[in-house]
Amino acid sequence: MKKYMLSSLSALALTAVAAHAETVNILMEAVPDTTYIQQLLPEFEEATGIDVNLEVVNYAEMHTKLVPQLVSNSGSYSAIVVDFYWVGEFFKAGWMQPLDDRIAADGFDTSVYVPAMMDLVGQVEGTTYMLPFYNYAMGLLYRTDLLEDEANKTAYMDAFGTELKKPETWDEYLQQVKFFTKDGSYGVVNQGLRPDPIAMEWSNYLFAKGGEFIDDGWHATFNSPEGVAALEDYITNLNDYGPVGAASFSFDEAFNVFSQGQAYSYITYNFFRAAVDDASGSAIVGKGEIMGVPGQTPEEGGSLNGAWGWAIPKSSPNPDAAWEFLKWVESPEIAKKRALLGGSATRLDVFDDAEVIAKYPQTTALKELLLGSHNFPTFTYTPQFVEVLGRELSLAVSGEKSAQEALDAAAAEFDELAIKDGRQE
Amino acid sequence: MASIQLNSVSRIYGQGASAVHAVKGIDLQIEDGEFMIFLGPSGCGKSTTLRMIAGLEPVSQGDLLIDGQRVNDVDPAERDLAIVFQNYALYPHMSVRQNMAFGLKLRGTPGPEIESRIAGVAETLGIRPLLDRKPSQLSGGQRQRVALGRALVREPRAFLLDEPLSNLDAKLRSVMRTELIKLHRKLGTTMIHVTHDQVEAMTMGTRICIMRGGEIVQVGKPQDVYRDPADTFVAGFLATPPMNLIPARIEAAGEGLAVIAPGLSVPVPEAYRAAYAPYTGREVILGIRPEDLFETPEGAAPAAIDCSIETVEALGPETILNVKLGQGGSELAARLPAEGDWEVARQIRLFADSLRMHLFDPETTRKIAR
Amino acid sequence: MAHVTTMERENRRFGWLLTAPGLVLLAAVVLFPIVWAGITSFFNYSLIFPGYDDFAGLGNYAKAADDGEFLHSAWITLLFVVAVVGIQFVAGFVVALMLNDARRGKTVYYLILLCPLLINPVVVGLMWRMILHPTLGIVNWLLGTVGIEPVNWLGAPDMAFWTVVLVDIWHQVSFMVVLLLAGLSALPAEPYEAARVDGATPFQRFWHITLPMMKPVIVVTLLIRMIFAIKTYDIIYIMTRGGPGVATDLISYFIYRRAFVSLDLGEACAMAAMLLIVIAGLTAVLWRSMRQVQD
Repeated sequence: MKKYMLSSLSALALTAVAAHAETVNILMEAVPDTTYIQQLLPEFEEATGIDVNLEVVNYAEMHTKLVPQLVSNSGSYSAIVVDFYWVGEFFKAGWMQPLDDRIAADGFDTSVYVPAMMDLVGQVEGTTYMLPFYNYAMGLLYRTDLLEDEANKTAYMDAFGTELKKPETWDEYLQQVKFFTKDGSYGVVNQGLRPDPIAMEWSNYLFAKGGEFIDDGWHATFNSPEGVAALEDYITNLNDYGPVGAASFSFDEAFNVFSQGQAYSYITYNFFRAAVDDASGSAIVGKGEIMGVPGQTPEEGGSLNGAWGWAIPKSSPNPDAAWEFLKWVESPEIAKKRALLGGSATRLDVFDDAEVIAKYPQTTALKELLLGSHNFPTFTYTPQFVEVLGRELSLAVSGEKSAQEALDAAAAEFDELAIKDGRQE
Repeated sequence: MASIQLNSVSRIYGQGASAVHAVKGIDLQIEDGEFMIFLGPSGCGKSTTLRMIAGLEPVSQGDLLIDGQRVNDVDPAERDLAIVFQNYALYPHMSVRQNMAFGLKLRGTPGPEIESRIAGVAETLGIRPLLDRKPSQLSGGQRQRVALGRALVREPRAFLLDEPLSNLDAKLRSVMRTELIKLHRKLGTTMIHVTHDQVEAMTMGTRICIMRGGEIVQVGKPQDVYRDPADTFVAGFLATPPMNLIPARIEAAGEGLAVIAPGLSVPVPEAYRAAYAPYTGREVILGIRPEDLFETPEGAAPAAIDCSIETVEALGPETILNVKLGQGGSELAARLPAEGDWEVARQIRLFADSLRMHLFDPETTRKIAR
Repeated sequence: MAHVTTMERENRRFGWLLTAPGLVLLAAVVLFPIVWAGITSFFNYSLIFPGYDDFAGLGNYAKAADDGEFLHSAWITLLFVVAVVGIQFVAGFVVALMLNDARRGKTVYYLILLCPLLINPVVVGLMWRMILHPTLGIVNWLLGTVGIEPVNWLGAPDMAFWTVVLVDIWHQVSFMVVLLLAGLSALPAEPYEAARVDGATPFQRFWHITLPMMKPVIVVTLLIRMIFAIKTYDIIYIMTRGGPGVATDLISYFIYRRAFVSLDLGEACAMAAMLLIVIAGLTAVLWRSMRQVQD
């Protein structure tokens, strides 16, 4: 801290401009984790005298707003938040400043982050460009009350000869989905909207089915038999065991169906777990829990990883001040405070913090979920690939293409993009 | 051919206290083949009356009869009348030929007949070269003819003309006036012509119906109305310059009576003495037409008037003098022959033909019968 | 050339002087972006590697013309524009005619009708997504009370297309109403009276008087509305993202994604230029037909 004070003081002396008027501008998405930071900002401003101005917009606008600022020599954003699937693109375009020197100079500890987080929104090809901000790895939200219901237990035993319990494998989960589709309730609700909701959700099906997106040579493998079976599972779930119209649902609409108690399960971003217990928008308070998406065996998981990272753009007008903010927001005490407010952690020390676990018992489940999750292929053209994948999945869901045709088309386009990006030989 | 009858016809806009009576229960009989003029200042109800006859305005009260048949509730399309509007109301997107054919087509007239009728009317009106033009390519006078032609080809029971000449320049107006008169003579169809121009009224109509404030003031042949105006309104409306109207008194003068006004004393001729005697000692309005003032004594009972010249309007064939009667007297207009040596401010003596004077009751404004 | 007097020359110079600031401004805000986009369309210009080093010639155009998804979007957009503009025109005209005849409460109707137009399209999209939510929305609930099965408004390809069409109509129909009503109330009353006396029925008056006299207004209204419809983007973004499948993937949204998701500005500009040419052609056709009316 002293060191920082000194360096900041010398910077002040050098610039000799009214430093207390310095402002850090950051474009952020309107999500719960952003509001937690807003609540804590006065602490930062008091400690450093640096004002922080958060420009909060919807996800839809973020990429469009960021790109012109990142392309220019001097943009208006001091720091930015980067969705994991922009990472390849931002890296390729050279829009982010390396942080290794600053990390080394200030002795900032990055070893506490979940390794998968650092892979996703920390380092690219050995250089640290980002600090992980929060994770939105996907998990399986399910209804504990339905599992514990005696009538259900009996009926399930009669039907399948096995006990009704939290599913350990993907096939067990699918069996439960079918079982709970009765009496006007649904076994599952899906988020079938193009492009990212359906692409992200189906990724869990792919991993759960034992499939992968690519092989080591960056060739598309998701049109494998596992991939096709995963898409067929997805179509069956959406059309036969879900509500009418799920093909057009975004995550908020799908969550509404789940939180109104109309569906047994919903595979979605883990931050919805907190919303299950929010009585103002949920009819199933205390009746929902989250787990990693089950895989082929009880040991394997099928969850898709996802996260945001903090970065300082090349075009940042005041990178030093931005780094001060990053250091503060990712410091152990602030990270913990954010978690206590409800934030999604990326650091192991926060996941293992007794106070956090005491307040949110699901923290342990969320940690397991994160540790067992799989990464989406991130490269320069990830946004475009998500677009293609979303379109083809949607075509398959609406019955205009078979699962095989849709995935073959998406795989062909993936290979083109990978070649264009120099990933394939 | 149609006779048109209005029995206590009213047109009322709005309801209750805010109701406006545009036409107040008028009675009028228009004979078959007549050329009737509705004359009056704007807002007098003459156009409204015409539009009621056409069926474009509902009749609020009273009965409207065409050829003895009540048509209050008959659609304008079935009244078989044609109307010519002030601003022509041509269909802007149709050629002249289409404009003229439109009404006939709607009535299912066979094509060849439409063609021959249009050819005939176009010949009469001299608009044959214009048949394939659009209204926007025509001058005001040409549009007027087309509008008229559109009415003529219909061969309706009556023509309704709503100030059709008022948008034309003076010269064209007088040409069209003559043509309308000729047309009426040729066709013999009933025509109703609304105007505020008293020259049109005097020259065109077989009868004039003068309206004011939604009421009929006087109906009669142009010369009768001119010679014998029913009240000061009619007296002041017909002719330019209008009749001079002078506040005056009737006084006994020796054996007889005299009409006295500041700077003026006109002896009442023997013939009128009995009629005017009851008004002795009372206020009256003296009316003298400008053309009944002379430089030299004329007529049976000339009366001298001393006055000073205010303005001189030399019109060519004649000269209008505006003169002022003696001390604090009224101004008069006098229509005199063109020749004469008049100068402003000069004192002159004029003579009135007292037999041609009119007296009006200032309270009712009606003419005092004699 | 005719002799030009000094005075005329000075007048002309003064005229140029007066119009120059406007022309410069127009060139800066309208011409410059168009020219820039036109130039960019001939280069492999990507936001990841911005620069004009890689000349592509007509490559971007060829790529777009060969792109099945792009052509599909163009086809869907054509259907959308025809459906939206056609239905809006008929509905808007009927409403405008009724309003034109209304004696009382015109302002009230006007205000009610204007409401949707004043709402941001993003809000319109969100609102209708909520209303049409298949299980939690009010429309399906109401249909349920009379025993109709829930309708899959946005989840089935054909239905989603018509849902988007209807929402756009709901949102924009008042634009038609307002313009057509302005046109109707500016029509002279006399030709109608002449036609009534000529014996035309209300329908004949509409057909022979109103329609022809309204033609310039109709043409302009259709043109503006058509261009707006081609540009439809927000509602698609909010309601369907072009789905399900590619059922509602309108061209503006497609080009937007090519520019801001793929960051491939060169190809996006080529697509935009192709669209611009089509719109300009349509405009010219309609403009000519309008001038014929006025002659």
